[in-house]
Amino acid sequence: MADQKGTKRSSVESDAQDSKRIKTDDRSNPYLAHLNMDGANDDFKSPLDEMERHNTTALQAAKAEDSDTNPWTGKPHSENYFKILKTRRDLPVSKQRAEFLELYHKTQILVFVGETGSGKTTQIPQYVLYDELPHQTGKLIACTQPRRVAAMSVAQRVANELDVELGQEVGYSIRFENRTGPKTLLKYMTDGQLLREAMHDPNMNRYSCIILDEAHERTLATDILMALLKEIAHRRSDLKIIVMSATLDAQKFQSYFSLRKEDPPAPLLAVPGRTHPVEIFYTPEPERDYVEAAVRTVLQIHAVEPEGDILLFLTGEEEIEDACRRISLEVDDMVRESDAGPLAIYPLYGTLPPHQQQKIFDKAPEPFRKGGRPGRKCIVATNIAETSLTIDGIVYVVDPGFSKQKIYNPRSRVESLLVSPISKASAQQRAGRAGRTRPGKCFRLYTEKAFKKELIEQTYPEILRSNLSNTILELKKLGVEDLVHFDFMDPPAPETMMRALEELNYLACLDDDGGLTKLGSLASEFPLDPALAVMLISSPEFYCSNEILSITSLLSVPQIWIRPNNNRKRADEMKAQFAHPDGDHLTLLNAYHAYKGAEQNGEDVKKWCHEHFLSFRHLSSADNVRAQLKRIMETHEIELVSTPFNNKDYYTNIRRALLAGFFMQVAMKESSNSKIYKTVKDDQMVMIHPSTVVSSPYDWVVYNEFVLTTKQYIRTVTNVRPEWLLEIAPVYYDVDTFEKGEIKSALTRLTEKVKRRQAMKGGY
Amino acid sequence: MGLAGAKNKRRLGNDPNNNRWMRNTESFGQKMLRSQGWEPGQYLGAKDAAHADNYGAASVSHIQVTLKDDNLGLGAKRNNGDECTGLFDFQHLLGRLNGKSEEALETELKKREDLKLNSYLERRLGTIRFVRGGWLVGDVLKEEPQEGADKGEANGAQESSEESTEESAETEPSEPPSKKRKAEQGTDKDDEKARKKEKKSKKRKTESDAETDSADSKERKKDKKSKKRKVDSTDSDTEPTKSKKSSKREKQKSESPEDVDTAAEDVKEKKDKKDKKERKKEKKEKKEKKDKKKKDKTDSGAETGESSSKEKKRRKENSATPAVESGVSTPTGSGYSTPVTTNTRYLARSRFIAQKKMAFADSAALNQIFMIKS
Repeated sequence: MADQKGTKRSSVESDAQDSKRIKTDDRSNPYLAHLNMDGANDDFKSPLDEMERHNTTALQAAKAEDSDTNPWTGKPHSENYFKILKTRRDLPVSKQRAEFLELYHKTQILVFVGETGSGKTTQIPQYVLYDELPHQTGKLIACTQPRRVAAMSVAQRVANELDVELGQEVGYSIRFENRTGPKTLLKYMTDGQLLREAMHDPNMNRYSCIILDEAHERTLATDILMALLKEIAHRRSDLKIIVMSATLDAQKFQSYFSLRKEDPPAPLLAVPGRTHPVEIFYTPEPERDYVEAAVRTVLQIHAVEPEGDILLFLTGEEEIEDACRRISLEVDDMVRESDAGPLAIYPLYGTLPPHQQQKIFDKAPEPFRKGGRPGRKCIVATNIAETSLTIDGIVYVVDPGFSKQKIYNPRSRVESLLVSPISKASAQQRAGRAGRTRPGKCFRLYTEKAFKKELIEQTYPEILRSNLSNTILELKKLGVEDLVHFDFMDPPAPETMMRALEELNYLACLDDDGGLTKLGSLASEFPLDPALAVMLISSPEFYCSNEILSITSLLSVPQIWIRPNNNRKRADEMKAQFAHPDGDHLTLLNAYHAYKGAEQNGEDVKKWCHEHFLSFRHLSSADNVRAQLKRIMETHEIELVSTPFNNKDYYTNIRRALLAGFFMQVAMKESSNSKIYKTVKDDQMVMIHPSTVVSSPYDWVVYNEFVLTTKQYIRTVTNVRPEWLLEIAPVYYDVDTFEKGEIKSALTRLTEKVKRRQAMKGGY
Repeated sequence: MGLAGAKNKRRLGNDPNNNRWMRNTESFGQKMLRSQGWEPGQYLGAKDAAHADNYGAASVSHIQVTLKDDNLGLGAKRNNGDECTGLFDFQHLLGRLNGKSEEALETELKKREDLKLNSYLERRLGTIRFVRGGWLVGDVLKEEPQEGADKGEANGAQESSEESTEESAETEPSEPPSKKRKAEQGTDKDDEKARKKEKKSKKRKTESDAETDSADSKERKKDKKSKKRKVDSTDSDTEPTKSKKSSKREKQKSESPEDVDTAAEDVKEKKDKKDKKERKKEKKEKKEKKDKKKKDKTDSGAETGESSSKEKKRRKENSATPAVESGVSTPTGSGYSTPVTTNTRYLARSRFIAQKKMAFADSAALNQIFMIKS
């Protein structure tokens, strides 16, 4: 999507070009440019040489930008460069370059607020580049992005703007891809990636300036990075930090980044965006059915409002597809019955294939006949359209006030995606989407009272909504000992922290004094949840690390099974082909092996996946993840072994290896003829998700996730034997630590049985 | 639903909140935190942090959400069957016993009736109505966008009061709606500040307009309903035709698409006030066209004077609409005159309207209808 954004913008720029560009004096004779250039880089006098680091001015930088030769590569600037330069100078940020530099020179930490469309993500790092002059110091400039696509596409964009090749002077680094080189001066990266780097470079010595972009999104990694950088800033006074946010809680950032308590808040620079006012409408009464109301509102807008595209926010894939269907049916009717214009409807959600996501940037349809009512497009999206991507032409926003949010409950250890009311900040953000091109309208499907009373002020940052075991492991690895007083911007709930510590202790990643163990240190090298990492690391003990590696990568990507509504039966039949009676994990593995087999046979894998109702996209990304994990395993000398396939223990070994990481996600059947299971230790009543292929589940099962809908389900389950539990995780399954109940008595019985058997063996 | 409703049986475990774990002071996590100086009830995070004022409830305990498994809109409450019926009547009775004035009781009654009608309409015709909530300029909510912000409001109030006087002078004195309207505008002028409150009462009033109106003459009710326009546009559109007799009704019906246009135009007008004048001219022309059509039927003698005065009035009203809309809880000017006919029942009718519309677009057909020899 973001790629599209880039191209979209550049096309705008090429429109805006003018060949009559007045030549500046330093570009007196382009025909002679080669004379300066030809292989004689030593003679070349770079405008950068005149500039003094941390004492540059906007004028100097502009001069350097205007020069014929590229100061960073020494090659002449291309024609296109000047076209882009012109549009860059039109960006709102550009007017405040001098002001920015002045503040930047004065302070170590700067908070920068720029509305979307101000150009901050592309321009500020370049301004810093011309001031830091990293080729002199050898220290890089890093700019973090919460999303991988954004990091990639922005890096590409900036490389174009600087007229350099991507991967050379400007590069990017994301989880599965690193496109930087020895020449790299400016590096775009995901926030998670910078955090990983920090593990091996605790002072961030490679960087002279770190820019945290989109800080308002408050991802887990950004939050941790902010706290870390705040600490590093004390140690390294030469490190400059810029925190960029799109809106709102600028003061919060400011007060957080005053390094000492007595210090004034960090200085702020705000740049206005290019937004138009948006008129807000509420419903007078609450709506009975927000989807229905949303559909009708869209139709109403289409019927009576003047030209302009519509953006409707809904919560999830299913809801979006349903709404799209309903709208298109009604619009067909409307078109048949009246002279309404055409309406193109596009869904937009994260799991949509990229080529379909691209469609949202298509032009609105033409009117049916010349001079007829204008056509428009309607995009039905999840909250990814709220901040992440910008669609021009949106004039009407319909906001039912809900979104799906991740919530973690440390008490039941369940992380789930639930539909919940959005925040006020989020509602304003949504409304703001209507004012990108001209004054717009936002229709909120709730009352003004509900807006004021029922919505929280700010969306909870991710750190308050997630399982922290991975984060705590990372912090431990980063050398943070005192977790209680770690300077979070929003400290997580103590119980969440307790749970994370406890889990890590059971996984033997932390010893009983809270110190990082060898296993823990190794686990933190993997970009995985600790349970998965531990499972992977201990898999050679079970002679199945190859298989566990595949399963781990399959569990790290979205569901590979496709089950279209109109073809469920066929999809189930196809899935049954891969089914293993003992477990969904094993079924996943079978599907993966079949996929690889098809690939090796030279079949058209895309077609093969389509025929077998498997997601090609997710399978190939699992393949990618697998390759990367394999590399990590190899560097840490973790053996890749397999039990021979005809060995009868082939699948048993895998099932046992699963328990090495997931022994805390085990459930026991309540009674032999019941369908209800109880999770071990947390005593939650659960059922096995209907998607399972396990025909006759055992009394004990290991599960991958806990799904919360109207019922509590466990999904992706595999049969296990309770004896294995005692054997593989004796600490967790220490009978004395259990509360009285069915599970305890079952375990007691089992221990006795095992003891008896051992005694018998010993007797012989 | 009450007793007849579907039973939602759900088994809960003994300790769904897992308090046992929380209370267990021996757990590894709790021991670790305590060893680093944490006490139950305290926040995590840096000591004496400058930003500690910003900590929220989510830093104390995990975020608790309710599971949402229906499509109920934000703020809507599900009727669990525990709503008492007849409370209103009881209240009414108590009010009378307590010696409330007849007027107060009357207004309460009206309110209630309006509410009923409101919900009926919504159920039946199901348009989504909206109330204005100001402008979002950048991040800040404002009453009006910067350009000509106060102009609109102030002018509006003035004009509407003017309008009301004129209206009372011109329109048939026996018409209850106009009376009410006048009163309404009076209040408008009086307390602009208590807008929100007023909004509500006004909304009700406007709806009651429609109601009383409909009671007035059944025919008109039908007419109005079919068009389903909100009072704002109704007033401006129906008044000129009110004096005309039923032969016109048909024509008026067919005009409703045009009404849509004007409504849409109104909205636009609100947005760019610069174009206002041009638009007005357009409208005037349109109006003149309409009048011409009328002229064919009525004798021309009295017409000229009347139409010109009507035009004047119409213009006034037009210019007043933005203000009225911003003040009253009008449904946005969006979509209020076209019902979203999701019901198949309306299919035939809309087809009929479409046919009419086509006929009107065709001048030859028009001439036939009006029996004009060209």
